[in-house]
Amino acid sequence: MALPVPLRDSVTPHELEMIASQQLIEIVPLIAMERTAFISGAYGPLRPPSKAKIPLWMAVNLKLKKKCHIIPPQWLSVEHLQDRLAQEVANPDAFSDLPFRFTEISKVLLDVASDDLENPDQIRTLLKDLREARQAKSREGLRHLDHSELGLTGLTSMEINEIRPFFVQSMSLLTKLARNTEATT
Amino acid sequence: MSKIINTRPHGNGNTRLAFSKDGSRVFTGGADSLVRIWDVGQGADNEPDTAAEAEGPITWIEAAEDCWLSSSEDSEVRRYAKDSTSYEAPITSAAGVSVRCIAIDPQARKVAVASDELFVKVVDMEGITTPQKLEGYTSAIRALTWHPSGNLLTTCTQDGKIVIWDVSQSPAKREKVIEGIIPVVKDESSNEFQYDCSAVWHTSGEHFYVASKGHEIVTISRSNWSRVPGTFTDKNAVGAITALTLSPNGVYLLSASKSTVFAWSTQTKRVIASQAGTPGSIITQLAFCPKRNLVAWTDNEGGFTRWAEPISNTFPDPIKPGIGTKASASTTITRKPDTDLFGEDVLGKDDVMDDEANMAALDEDDDMLDIDKDWIVDDMDGALHDNEPVGGAGRSNAGFVKEMVSITKAQPPFQPGSTPFQNKKRYLAYNMLGVIEAIDQDVHQIINVVFFNQSSRSSFHFTDLFKNDLGYLGDCGAVFACPPEVNHPARVLFKPYSSAAQEWTYPLRPSTKVLGIAAGGLAPNSYNTNSTVDLQGYGNVVVATSEHDLTFLTGSGRERRILALPGDFVTMVAAPEWVFVVYRPGSTTIDGSQNLYYIVINFEDFSVRQRDVLPVPKGQTLKWVGLTEEGLPAMYDSTGYLSVLSKVRIPHHAAWVRISDTNLLERRQGKDETYWPVGISDSIFMCLILKGNQEYPGFPRPLIQELSITFPFRNADEREEKLERNLLYTQTLLDGLDDDLTSEAVQTREQALDKELILLIQGACKNGNVPRAIELVKLLHNVPSYTAAGQVADFYKLWVLKEKVEALKELREEEEDRLVVARNKRRRWLKPDKPLRMLASDGGANGGRRFDPLGDTRPPPPVERPSMNRVTRPVVEKTRFTSAAPPTQQQQASSSASTWGDDSLLTDSPPPVEKRKRDDLEEWPMSDSMPPPKTTKGNNPFARKAQEPNRNPFARSVEKQHSLHKSESFFDKVESAESGGNGTLSSKKRVPGFKGKEKAPDKKDAPKQTTLLNMMPKKPKAKPQATAADSQTDVETQATDDVAMSDLTLREDSQAETIPDSWEETQLVEEETQEA
Repeated sequence: MALPVPLRDSVTPHELEMIASQQLIEIVPLIAMERTAFISGAYGPLRPPSKAKIPLWMAVNLKLKKKCHIIPPQWLSVEHLQDRLAQEVANPDAFSDLPFRFTEISKVLLDVASDDLENPDQIRTLLKDLREARQAKSREGLRHLDHSELGLTGLTSMEINEIRPFFVQSMSLLTKLARNTEATT
Repeated sequence: MSKIINTRPHGNGNTRLAFSKDGSRVFTGGADSLVRIWDVGQGADNEPDTAAEAEGPITWIEAAEDCWLSSSEDSEVRRYAKDSTSYEAPITSAAGVSVRCIAIDPQARKVAVASDELFVKVVDMEGITTPQKLEGYTSAIRALTWHPSGNLLTTCTQDGKIVIWDVSQSPAKREKVIEGIIPVVKDESSNEFQYDCSAVWHTSGEHFYVASKGHEIVTISRSNWSRVPGTFTDKNAVGAITALTLSPNGVYLLSASKSTVFAWSTQTKRVIASQAGTPGSIITQLAFCPKRNLVAWTDNEGGFTRWAEPISNTFPDPIKPGIGTKASASTTITRKPDTDLFGEDVLGKDDVMDDEANMAALDEDDDMLDIDKDWIVDDMDGALHDNEPVGGAGRSNAGFVKEMVSITKAQPPFQPGSTPFQNKKRYLAYNMLGVIEAIDQDVHQIINVVFFNQSSRSSFHFTDLFKNDLGYLGDCGAVFACPPEVNHPARVLFKPYSSAAQEWTYPLRPSTKVLGIAAGGLAPNSYNTNSTVDLQGYGNVVVATSEHDLTFLTGSGRERRILALPGDFVTMVAAPEWVFVVYRPGSTTIDGSQNLYYIVINFEDFSVRQRDVLPVPKGQTLKWVGLTEEGLPAMYDSTGYLSVLSKVRIPHHAAWVRISDTNLLERRQGKDETYWPVGISDSIFMCLILKGNQEYPGFPRPLIQELSITFPFRNADEREEKLERNLLYTQTLLDGLDDDLTSEAVQTREQALDKELILLIQGACKNGNVPRAIELVKLLHNVPSYTAAGQVADFYKLWVLKEKVEALKELREEEEDRLVVARNKRRRWLKPDKPLRMLASDGGANGGRRFDPLGDTRPPPPVERPSMNRVTRPVVEKTRFTSAAPPTQQQQASSSASTWGDDSLLTDSPPPVEKRKRDDLEEWPMSDSMPPPKTTKGNNPFARKAQEPNRNPFARSVEKQHSLHKSESFFDKVESAESGGNGTLSSKKRVPGFKGKEKAPDKKDAPKQTTLLNMMPKKPKAKPQATAADSQTDVETQATDDVAMSDLTLREDSQAETIPDSWEETQLVEEETQEA
């Protein structure tokens, strides 16, 4: 793959997105379907207008065929994100509590089902703000990296992935250094 | 419609207002020290006059006949000339502190002034120099009001007291101090301090209203200064009450909570109208125009809002003094304040009826104190039917005021799931199938029919030139109806969903109106693939007309019957089999009941299945009727109860089961929301949630919310509630069965229920509650569950219980099967007709259900690998049960057929067949020294031993083998070639197969024996004697074979049966050959 070098060590965002697509999400189907077996499990039955919980990939697929409405998760709302952003800004040491794969899921939903979201534009901006605020924190957090551990509570998958190349290399370097110092002393 | 004029003439801060006595002017004063004078007749663009004398924020404004006064924080009370800005004179001033409130008495002789000082000054307007001081307060006064007589002055203090002074005598006497009603507000800068906490006297002088600290409107009686029971409550009016006012005749009370104004009827204590003001602002004062149906208010942001016609025409006039105004006044003080205020001419205009009713009310006044409520309701009605000259005279003479009129407003007919127009859009129908939306385009409207399930029916839209105002979304088609117009009569339009059918219209006679429509029918599985759709028809259409009838039409528009409806139609809903109609057989009752009845009419024979009273409580209305997923009628009333009519199919058996009380919903707590039902499926209540005082859902279409239904039991625990709920459900399912004993759905339910029951039994055992446990054991459905219950009892060492469980189990086993009992019961009740069913041909060969390979969520069946199976498959046990084996296999096949269908049969059975073939081909040539002639195939040595000799399947297996083994003639030829003239054909082949084991060497004997066995099954073990075998028998066998072969095609299904036989046979043959 023609990826930039630092990215080759870690999973690509697309791959993460695919992993996140396994998560279940609520939809309002527009078609009826019996309970159906898939490799990952059995989902359904779909009986409009009742809601159903299906994996995100399937929801996206149906959505693109205009066969369902996706009900955005409770955290993907302007109020909730605003609240989280406020926490993020007010509390420079901790990450606010967000779902582990919120970046991926919100990206997918904004791409595919922005008509099912309330105020998609505002949500987009808020997510961007959140990301920036959190990114600053995770960079800051990397300063505290030592040879044995790095504790960043509340870091989400995408952010972990983001710092992974740097983190892995520097940690191994630090470990080496630490071993050397031990050896010399 | 209500009209709102909103302006913001003053800066941020507390704003006050007052109407002039003739109602032509409004004075508003705000924190910007200005008083503006508005002409009520003018609109929003009218520039008000301004009085700018005050040097501090205006705190209060009062108007008298000939002047108006304003008070200000600059401690001055100023007097201005009538309706003008010309400043006349200062009235009084406080000692350097701000004046809080002023009040002019009804005679306009005195003005009471409250300031930050601890007394109230009562200033004579004529001689302002000698103010009377009312002293003895412990805190400053916030508001002042006069009793309509002018004898009493009510003051509300900052520390939460209401102090009432009798000022008729001099010096004024403190009449009463009422504590604990109004809130204590110490902080003068708080918002709460700005609220208008005045005690508002009713025009009768009997009582006053005041906003309590509990955010309620409290009525205090004048006679004993105590609270009158009954509060003004409405689910929408919540939060602190910031202002109160009364309509000029005392019939309506207006209150403000935050930024919303509510108009209450003082008689019924219910909200009749509401209006939202500027969001976020706090309304600080409300005033009702003395001469017009107009309310104005000011808020804490300097806003001034006028609400024209707050009281709609359907309600009694808010201005004209009616009975309500005067009747009570006569019992109190001497004067009738309203006559004074409004002048004689107003009274003169009142119609005769009013006066007479008035007298009647006056007569009754002496009798009872609580007469209040009675005549009040009466008065409402009198006003409602203002125009009808209904025997007013007779009424007052007889004194039977109450009986004369029905007092409850009759609920108009409605279509379930319809809404009025909002922004030129409305829903004509909203149910579990989909939505009909109508968009008004002035000359025509666009109708959108949208289905939730787009796979079964496709949504459509059309331009509607007739302005249909009724719609119903049925299973087979959508019905619309339009009102009669000048150029066309009312007509009904039916649009079937099936592409094969045509839409039709059904015109009514001129001037006949359509009140309601419904369409019932059995929805086909799909509209695309199946040609049998048409066979089921398009259901039935029911039209309720203003000629008091129900017209039944078929789905193709043929008129079938016109049934007279006993009373007024209200609403209806149609199921495939019947229509459920709500009607009012008479009028509403005097005590507030809507008096609704329901009737369930069968489509097929127009028989009435059920007829009874609809359980809508008094004073409540029916909000919705619909169908549950199982096809029971359901209703929702304005109290928030959801009920379902169980056992609807059996005449006289129906009962309304209250399945949910939406007031008790967990999510409802602390929220201001109402539910707009859409449907009920299983134990889920599908509804739209409306916030605040929203009455109907708007656009865009809101998401349907799913609320789980819980029976409103009072103390049952969760599990017991669930149990009962599921029992109701299974019962309904069972009722829907006809000749079937049970169905898959019922079985799974019952099993789940038994599991729950066992858990409950365990709970009961744990508590040592044996009677409860026994009760629960009796409810168990399946016999095996009894064993489980016994084990539970065992575990808790309740031997007595265990014995009883055993006894119950035995009883159950002895009894007739409960399912059979249930079926017999059904048959007894429902002898004549079967439930409407899908046509059998619908789903193909498979009993109406098509196999969906993706729909099977069970673990996949084991893969058949014939090559690997070979050794394990022919278990000897099987051979022993050959007779039993075929049925079981068939059973399996049929039970799995529902899901696995044909394919499973194919995968299950063919391998053996193939296998068999291979065996035939591999084995027999192997023993080619003696190729098998056809006859031998029938005689499975094993079968012979195990089975009864005269068992029929024999013949079948023979044929089977024929079918598989085509090259009979080939073998024959080979055989004959090999064996020459040696004995019979059969004898040779049999040797390795059967005899080989015991008497391998004497090959010549063996074949004969087998043949014999075959022919004479009565002596299966009689091989040695078989030497007498002759060719005749062989001929016979062959003959039977031929017959069987001809049968072959007819008996395809016997294949399964034969397989085991043949299987084992071949296998054994193989084994034995090897041994040999």
